[in-house]
Amino acid sequence: MIVCLAVVGHQNNPLYIQSFTEADDALKLHHMVHCSVDVIDERVDNPKKSGPTINETFLGLLCPTENYKVYGYLTNTKVKFILVTTDLDVRDADMRTFFRRFHAAYVDAVSNPFHVPGKKITSKTFAERVATIVKSFGLTTTG
Amino acid sequence: MAPVAPKSGDAIFASVDRVNAELFTLTYGAIVRQLLTDLEEVDEVNKQLDQMGYNIGVRLVDEFLAKSNVNRCVDFRETAEVIAKVGFKMFLGVTASVTNWDAEGTTCSIILEDNPLVDFVELPDTCQGLYYCNILSGVIRGALEMFLFPSPSGVNENRSHVAA
Repeated sequence: MIVCLAVVGHQNNPLYIQSFTEADDALKLHHMVHCSVDVIDERVDNPKKSGPTINETFLGLLCPTENYKVYGYLTNTKVKFILVTTDLDVRDADMRTFFRRFHAAYVDAVSNPFHVPGKKITSKTFAERVATIVKSFGLTTTG
Repeated sequence: MAPVAPKSGDAIFASVDRVNAELFTLTYGAIVRQLLTDLEEVDEVNKQLDQMGYNIGVRLVDEFLAKSNVNRCVDFRETAEVIAKVGFKMFLGVTASVTNWDAEGTTCSIILEDNPLVDFVELPDTCQGLYYCNILSGVIRGALEMFLFPSPSGVNENRSHVAA
């Protein structure tokens, strides 16, 4: 079950945070998202010496904490997508598909001439699309 | 020489040079944003867009007539149909439909189902009175005026309406 989604700009400023649980632990989720941004920065600055430096957008599992898993995705413009989920076994392919659709929705939201880059995303269409993507993700993994 | 038959909108659209749709959309969005920043008043921006459209229309109509070879229109109904089916198809690549005729046949609405100008656009709450596509009604007004057809046209809740 996806618990929280966040989009963080290239200066680590939050552009969009949405939690999908009824529980009142939004603060804890925001804190987790904040910590994962640090993990991403760490990964980006110290690439693994083993493989060649490929432009990998999907960063994979960032840090498993208690009962949550945090996944990260980095775009070429240094915008980070962070996903917090409670699912225990999530297929890599599902994650990549999810992030690809999320990226497409993000690109459409940013193409709005009234969106100011660097400010929060206020588009209702974006919120609806994200909700649809999250819902369909939940259906494919539990089905 | 035999007279050339009028071409359909599709045929002309296929034969003219085309530009990337996203570039077009983003450029128009940038123009509207800049007008809003410069003029600040939504009504002023609407007027400016209409004026820009008018200037485009008076020049565009010659190209339209040259490329499309349409016959002289008998009445305003035919004019509206030609604008919607041939004109919009040729320049925007989308077909519009003509509806909402009034009793005398002097006013109609041209409806664009998917308008390339408004892809990705969401009007913020501060600009609710903005006629985002007012440039299109200016183009129609400019084009029709070249036929000595003074016609006030405007955008009506994201629909463009033309009156003759």
